[in-house]
Amino acid sequence: MPSPTSAAEKLLLQMVDDYTEREISPEDMPMDAAGDFPAGFIQKLTDTGFLGLMLPQEFGGAGFGPEVTAAALNHIARGNASTAVTLEGHFKTIDQILKFGTPALQQELLPSANDRIFAFSMTEASGGSNPMGIGSTATREGDHWVLNGDKIMITNGGLAQVYCVLVKTAPHELSVFVVDQDMPGFSFGKREDFIGLRGTPVGEIVMDHIIVDNDHLLGKVGDGGRIGDSAHDDARILMGAVLTGIMEHDLKIATDYAKERKAGDQPLTALQVTHRKVADIAMRKETTKLLFEKAAQLKANGQPYSEEAAMAKAYGSRVAVAAGDDTLQILAGYGYSREYPVEHLIRDARAMEIAEGTVEKMRSAIATAEFNK
Amino acid sequence: MKIVVCIKQVPETNDVTIDPVTHNLDRRGLAGVMNPFDKNAIELALNLKDSRDDVQVALLTMGPDDYAESLREGLAMGADEGYLLSDRAFAGADTLATGYVLAQALKKIGDADLILFGRQAVDADTGQVGPIVAEFLQQPQITYAASLRLSGDNEVTAERLLEDTKQTLVAQLPAVISVRSELNTPRYPTPRNIQLSFAKPLTTWHHDDLDLDDTRLGQAGSPTIVTKVYAPEPVKRELTKLAGTPAEAASQLITALKGRQLI
Ligand SMILES: Cc1cc2nc3c(=O)[nH]c(=O)nc-3n(C[C@H](O)[C@H](O)[C@H](O)COP(=O)(O)OP(=O)(O)OC[C@H]3O[C@@H](n4cnc5c(N)ncnc54)[C@H](O)[C@@H]3O)c2cc1C
Ligand SMILES: Cc1cc2nc3c(=O)[nH]c(=O)nc-3n(C[C@H](O)[C@H](O)[C@H](O)COP(=O)(O)OP(=O)(O)OC[C@H]3O[C@@H](n4cnc5c(N)ncnc54)[C@H](O)[C@@H]3O)c2cc1C
Repeated sequence: MPSPTSAAEKLLLQMVDDYTEREISPEDMPMDAAGDFPAGFIQKLTDTGFLGLMLPQEFGGAGFGPEVTAAALNHIARGNASTAVTLEGHFKTIDQILKFGTPALQQELLPSANDRIFAFSMTEASGGSNPMGIGSTATREGDHWVLNGDKIMITNGGLAQVYCVLVKTAPHELSVFVVDQDMPGFSFGKREDFIGLRGTPVGEIVMDHIIVDNDHLLGKVGDGGRIGDSAHDDARILMGAVLTGIMEHDLKIATDYAKERKAGDQPLTALQVTHRKVADIAMRKETTKLLFEKAAQLKANGQPYSEEAAMAKAYGSRVAVAAGDDTLQILAGYGYSREYPVEHLIRDARAMEIAEGTVEKMRSAIATAEFNK
Repeated sequence: MKIVVCIKQVPETNDVTIDPVTHNLDRRGLAGVMNPFDKNAIELALNLKDSRDDVQVALLTMGPDDYAESLREGLAMGADEGYLLSDRAFAGADTLATGYVLAQALKKIGDADLILFGRQAVDADTGQVGPIVAEFLQQPQITYAASLRLSGDNEVTAERLLEDTKQTLVAQLPAVISVRSELNTPRYPTPRNIQLSFAKPLTTWHHDDLDLDDTRLGQAGSPTIVTKVYAPEPVKRELTKLAGTPAEAASQLITALKGRQLI
């Protein structure tokens, strides 16, 4: 069970709920329609200190731990999943710099993570599930590295200012470097026109002969695979939290509607077919919540959490799509209409069967972990 | 410059019930939040603090121990210190007994240039506590301020927004001000300030820490006698639905109004 929340954590979640209700939820539908955050939205989130939520206090952040960080994203996602996913992309990247960066690199970069968004870039046209398929390279020249390549489908690509990039330092050797949008040779490419999480920008970054010092190498040469896996693990906990939030949103829409809508002279709540759907949504939501909370708790306690994190996302993403489908069916014609948020909740949830490792890849990881026990 | 903001914790819901025996608000079991108008008062204090180097902001509340949560929230918004006045002897206070204890505590805190209040507490809604404190302290007061600025070394100018008029008033400091929500939009506490607020000083004063006349405290010191509190019965009205085309409905309406000799 999750650890009891401290007074500070309680106050944080109270603030998050207040902020979500007043600043985020009202933008949920407009964001989906516009395919972007409204002007000033990210600046306000930044000014309110959300970017530093889990950043240690020594770097100017708030230093909240993994459990309450996941809970905060869960609460935000009840109002809007895109906002939560943008923060997820930022937090998982900070996590890798905290785990693998040298003290000097942390000192250089992390204080700016309070007002600059960070992103983690692995995917390329030639390699998503298979990292060895990537073509980006880093070549050593004296005491510098020269980076070349093209990364696509990067969460916060175009919005973020600092990027961890997975590159090959030898034909079968993966490494991660940190680059800054201000570096010569760095540019943004195309932004994806995705069907869900439409507030979150997902886009391309191009590295054309970017020169970085050796101190911008994360971990050691050849650590790329390990760091990439670790980024996935951290992201998957937070995505479990986001998926739980989406299902809580579904549940609220489904129950509110069922209480109001009449089938003949009874409300929908009197029908067994509605009971079945609402109970299923509630069980899926609760199971996913337990999974992400368990993974977050293991992480907070310094225990391995990779398998549980994969479960939270692999399980949560599938059932969140199903929960949206059941909610849509309760609302029927209205559920199928773009005037109601249900249809975009399905599209939002669907992204998480792909992003941060496909459900197929996660099932392999879970099964492999079981074989190795 | 020293500013003290008086804040109250109120039940989170609007469905407060009335205790059938004491006729008091039944606050048992309800989660508390800071009175929304008091956040406007804190925001005003913090704005002044942001614009000048010498401003210290203290928060003051009288209530049970859990009122510390609202103090902490105000500290997380950016106030410097908090005072909680908590004692069984203060329980059951009406606005007068509340104002008395707050005034005695304000004397002990000392030297406040501005004492700020919300326009009213959303649970009991009287708006009396600020003015009562001003009287106890013999200080000028401006209630319902919708804007405020320091207009001289020792002077404040505020615009009072009343139901159908506006007034611009100038007061000498120290002064007591109660504020309206039109004044500003309260800031959110940032996650970092939430953490740091737990290192800020929060002082609890009990009965013996203050110089008090016991006859003025709690239920005994409260002249308010609530004889009856009730929600007025909703008036049931007759509803006639006019059917047919708009033209038909209109002629039915005219007939009905004529029938009642209204036209
Ligand atoms: C909303 C969103 C955000 C994203 N954000 C990021 C980001 O921040 N950073 C980033 O680097 N990438 C990001 N991606 C990209 C994402 O990680 C990739 O799309 C994903 O890894 C799959 O890669 P692919 O699309 O190339 O599919 P492919 O790898 O080509 O897979 C095609 C199909 O084959 C299956 N498959 C492939 N290999 C295996 C295998 N070994 N075992 C079983 N099945 C397999 C897959 O499951 C899939 O069904 C994001 C994607 C989305 C949708
Ligand atoms: C019908 C009725 C029922 C009541 N029932 C109860 C009851 O059940 N239990 C009970 O305890 N009291 C009860 N009271 C008394 C009343 O709630 C208290 O006197 C209260 O502390 C102040 O009155 P108010 O809420 O009207 O505040 P207002 O005068 O409306 O508040 C104005 C401002 O004064 C400040 N302020 C108010 N209270 C405090 C405080 N305690 N500490 C610091 N600052 C403060 C805040 O800035 C607030 O915005 C009742 C009063 C009435 C008229």
